[in-house]
Amino acid sequence: MEKKRLNEILGIRYPIIQGGMANIASGEFAAVCSEAGALGLIGSGGIRSAEELRRQIHILRERTKKPFGVNLMLMNPETEKMVDIVCEEKVPVVTTGAGNPGAYMERFKAAGILVIPVVAAPILAKHLERIGADAVIAEGCESGGHIGEMTTMTLIPQTVDAVDIPVIAAGGIADHRQMQAVLTLGACGAQIGTALLAAEECPIHENYKEAVLKAQGSDTIVTGRIGGTPVRVLKNQMSREYVKREKAGEDRMELEKFTLGSLRRAVFEGDTKNGSLMAGQSCGQLKEIRPVAEILAEICRGI
Amino acid sequence: MDFERLKEIIVDTLACDEDKVKPEADLIKDLEIDSLSLVELHMALEDELGVSIPDGEIGKLHTVQDVYDYLQKAKA
Repeated sequence: MEKKRLNEILGIRYPIIQGGMANIASGEFAAVCSEAGALGLIGSGGIRSAEELRRQIHILRERTKKPFGVNLMLMNPETEKMVDIVCEEKVPVVTTGAGNPGAYMERFKAAGILVIPVVAAPILAKHLERIGADAVIAEGCESGGHIGEMTTMTLIPQTVDAVDIPVIAAGGIADHRQMQAVLTLGACGAQIGTALLAAEECPIHENYKEAVLKAQGSDTIVTGRIGGTPVRVLKNQMSREYVKREKAGEDRMELEKFTLGSLRRAVFEGDTKNGSLMAGQSCGQLKEIRPVAEILAEICRGI
Repeated sequence: MDFERLKEIIVDTLACDEDKVKPEADLIKDLEIDSLSLVELHMALEDELGVSIPDGEIGKLHTVQDVYDYLQKAKA
């Protein structure tokens, strides 16, 4: 039997989930992405209170009737309350990152929510399938932000072989060639983050967008490898300094202080020197600012 | 499951030195288990025993002895 594409599973136009980027994926931006035919996601990372998450859901619902989702960063101290809110609000899809959603699975299921955890290894996908995940997003280390060890090229086929639930590919997908490649590897669709940083509607500071457009594919660096929380960002004064200090064996708490608030500095203030400009390796392909609808149509050309 | 079988599974999933797998060995400090290896061990134990072990339970087990004791109870 032919496998179902993600758009058929979710009842949307394109087999694309918009990445739930912390501090970036607001209700307004997610609504634009859903309207344009992807599954828009509100990123809860960076949202400080559960009530603010509810407000973002309402903002989205005022702008679109199309399906959408919420990405829950499980390390967020407000997670417990945020789980209540996505259940009360009957959010159609929840994606999860930075942890194991096992403890919340029953509540999601009772609310009729489709649960799609982000995984960076096939073994975790297998485990989550066993405890009831509806699909997984397998994210290779080409992507921006928090990453694992495996590349999309190795992760996708191995995850597809490991589980029977649908696999959505993430990490390094920014045009139709890469979309075709991940479909060939057995994915049913893709999650797109970095390519949408270059969207007209993306609410990041202009300086951040400029930096993403200017960056070559080799202009990203991974901070936190030694400490065990690898994060891919654009090379700049801060990320270079971080890696230098890390190699010198600086204390983790000191390093944490050094980066405190750095993502917000990048996103809202446009501080490209001391901000954390999260971006994946596909940044090297992005040449111009375009509307979301155009970006999605280009990625899905010919599939 | 006897202790020798548990030891076999641990050595197999963690690719660690057999001599290190003693009852008092700490999974993180002595066997250097990371979160993905823990998932691997978790699933291998479920497969071996044919029972499901809740995620919350596995996090409470610190030493090899803890794992052994838990499995004896889970099987019963």
